Amino acid sequence: MPLVNNKVGDDCTLGTDKALVDGKAQVDSLIKVVACYRHLASCVGGCTDSLQLRDELRQTREKALKLSVSICNHLTSHLRNKSLPEGQRKEMELLWVAFSSSLELLHVDMCKVFNISDIFSLANTDALVQTGLQGGGSEVAARALSLPDLNLAPNPTLPAGLESQERSTMEQEISQMDHMIDDMEMKVNVMRWMVESHGSQHAEVLSSSDSASLALLSVDEEQPGHQPPCQRSHIHVLVLLFAVVLVAATLSVCIIFFT
Amino acid sequence: MTIRNPLRDHGQRYRPRIACLKKAEKVLLEMQDLKTGVKSQPQRLVITTIPHAITGEDIIAWLADRFQVDTQEARSFGSMLVALGYIYPLQDHKRLVIKPDASLYRFQTPYFWPTQQWPVEDTDYAIYLAKRNIRKKGILEVHEQEHYNHLHKWMNHKWDFIVMQAKEQYRAAKERKKPDRVVFDCQERAYWVVHRPPPGTVSAMDYGLDRLIDPNADEAKTPDFYARIMIFTQQSIMRPRVKSSVSLGAVVKYCATYNNHDPFLSKCLPSNPWLTDDVTYWTLNMPYVEIPTKMRVERWTFSFAELLSDPRGRNDFRLFLKKEFSGENLAFWEGCEDLKWGEAATMREKAEHIYKTFLARGAPRWINIDGKTMEITVKGLKHPHRYVLDAAQTHIYMLMKKDSYGRYQKSPVFKETVKKAICPEEHHFTDAQLEQNAKKRRPSLSPIILRQMEQEQKAKMAANVDITQLCRFTTPVPHLAVYSGITDFPSANASPSLPFLAHSPACPSPISVALDSTSASERRVEAGEGEGEGNPAAQAPAGGNVSKSRMALSLHRLLKRGCTPATLFASLSPKCHSAAGTSSHIQPISPDQPSQALPRRIGNFFQIKVDIPPECRIYPIESEDEDEENRAASRGGVGAKEIICPWESLTPQNGTG
Repeated sequence: MPLVNNKVGDDCTLGTDKALVDGKAQVDSLIKVVACYRHLASCVGGCTDSLQLRDELRQTREKALKLSVSICNHLTSHLRNKSLPEGQRKEMELLWVAFSSSLELLHVDMCKVFNISDIFSLANTDALVQTGLQGGGSEVAARALSLPDLNLAPNPTLPAGLESQERSTMEQEISQMDHMIDDMEMKVNVMRWMVESHGSQHAEVLSSSDSASLALLSVDEEQPGHQPPCQRSHIHVLVLLFAVVLVAATLSVCIIFFT
Repeated sequence: MTIRNPLRDHGQRYRPRIACLKKAEKVLLEMQDLKTGVKSQPQRLVITTIPHAITGEDIIAWLADRFQVDTQEARSFGSMLVALGYIYPLQDHKRLVIKPDASLYRFQTPYFWPTQQWPVEDTDYAIYLAKRNIRKKGILEVHEQEHYNHLHKWMNHKWDFIVMQAKEQYRAAKERKKPDRVVFDCQERAYWVVHRPPPGTVSAMDYGLDRLIDPNADEAKTPDFYARIMIFTQQSIMRPRVKSSVSLGAVVKYCATYNNHDPFLSKCLPSNPWLTDDVTYWTLNMPYVEIPTKMRVERWTFSFAELLSDPRGRNDFRLFLKKEFSGENLAFWEGCEDLKWGEAATMREKAEHIYKTFLARGAPRWINIDGKTMEITVKGLKHPHRYVLDAAQTHIYMLMKKDSYGRYQKSPVFKETVKKAICPEEHHFTDAQLEQNAKKRRPSLSPIILRQMEQEQKAKMAANVDITQLCRFTTPVPHLAVYSGITDFPSANASPSLPFLAHSPACPSPISVALDSTSASERRVEAGEGEGEGNPAAQAPAGGNVSKSRMALSLHRLLKRGCTPATLFASLSPKCHSAAGTSSHIQPISPDQPSQALPRRIGNFFQIKVDIPPECRIYPIESEDEDEENRAASRGGVGAKEIICPWESLTPQNGTG
């Protein structure tokens, strides 16, 4: 991420520096929330779909919307400010692009959830697809909402009106997003082709503590018949090592014996 | 954000309706039912077990049971479900087929279903690839790497976002429990195998072109929308209607006629190459094969169009017409086809050539069309286009169909062909032989070679064409321009003997010299029976470009010499028994040329319905100055030596070239 280098500046630039940092932080958290929402959305319609999941979805959605409204206002006001210096403007535009892309992703996910919950109503749990998932998305939701622990009391009963109410809320939220997106495009003209990103093509590799799941994935592929060859190679190595040790031992014995 | 300006947005980005998806979804919902669906079992991995895995054989058995089909079809159906992305394989994830053994599959989560209204976004793909790259560098395959680079170039403005989103998704995934993480990874991977298949694989999501409008969106009820509906209904009312008994009768007749000839509905003799990998059928049915098969010959009797569309049939018909001395009809028809389907660059020359060869007065292979059609055609040739000869072509086609076709079917040529036609034995291959055949598969001839063969054929035919339909008063001459297409103008030595040709003692027939060098027209020698003068034939190879000035010069010379005017007969070569009546030769000579060869049958042939002044030119597309020149030259009353286009007389007055 670009460092804010302007240490010297008048109030205006200082203000916008701070605004930049602020905006950056907000956009980052929006991206995080959108990512978590996607994970949660992928569970909808599957066997782990439940009221709790829907609730989590709703909460995540609300947070995302709140964030996006505030970022929208923030960025719009700054970008419409004609007296913004060039470097700052570029940074703002980058943020703007990131923001609008996250909004798009969120919009698509919301539409998908809306449609899937149409088909898979929670009242009929038999119809939920057996996808192989076991756990819910609580941890992901917790991450999204930045809460250390998500302790929701699951709602045992399913009031008949809840689903339709939820649906109408979703519809409203989706249309609200639509309007926001349209508004954004109207108010601020950011030319996408002029925006250059900072990052390199290949992001640095994150910690490889996830190699276990990678291994799981690859083992997944192989037939069980693959196991013996691996073990056989292990045995070969061991035998070789043993032979070397043996040779070393006999040599040392010989030396001792003959000296 | 995708830049969308609804007014000027002509990008096609909506997927067309793929109707099978909804049906596949229904089937899938039934399949995954715990009680009545496919039996699931847990998948045992190294450190964990994941439930809801199903085996391939179970899927196939369930499908066969549910839809009451045999296992082969159930297997294809299952493979289709996998190819569409509703079920994904756990082992060998890149091959989207159902294996009828204990290999494991799992149902895809609805979020990743390939349903209609959610297009597959490149942004998501970029995020997915970035995620995989983050997790372990170098894990991307070659085609994925290429996509990644491409996306990096095109989505550069949001690359920061993509990388950040990839990281966040990765971190969010880590929050989940391990088995769930594995499942989600498998799901996502399967989704992208379906929607971004490796190159060279056949993808079930290959749906063709994208649509301009969203087929799932409701259409806005604007005035335009209603106007469109109104136009559609009006046209529906005006559409000509046929009684269903008539149309159904036609369908039934067609089916009954072609039933035995359809390779799907009945046996294909000797064997269907697609099934048995044995190409005898194709070699026996090559376009220009010597001995056709019985089925092929039978098809020629179904309709005239069938006969003409089969190259071998057309050859046979041409042979028959040659014997009947009416080959110019077919040649004209072929010329028109050539004009219609040929290149635009050579269209003018082709049209001109056809006119000179077939349509003009005094043309060597004059065809017989009625005056009205001739008028239309000649008028159209002023500004030639592809379909200018359409009317004449249709006329000739109907003539051939009504007249010659019937006689052809009773002719000895056809009977001979029928007798010689072969009927191959059916093959009965054993399994081992089928495998052998499969191993011996070779690619067929390249289209380039086929085209060369075709052109050789054409050239051979052109060389062989014998304009023997000269009347008994004309002598066949070499250098007869045959209509054989604009590309080859062979000085085809069609007819051998020119008994009267070489005797041009004093006047070596400057016309012939002139005409030889030009491509103005073709002449026939008017060597009357009584003429001992030995008027040499004045021939000219047809086609090509005329050097008019030379023509004019030679004409002038001729006039000066005043010799052998009798040579200047642009005579005709009608078929002797054509409807035009007696064949005669044209005598477009001006009256002040007293030659004994003044034909007995002057121009009754050409005083047909075409009322064109005799001293006209024939070149339909000419330049003005050449006209002037020629006109001046011919004002000496020589008259048209070449076949001239009738409207050219207007050109000087019109002032248009």
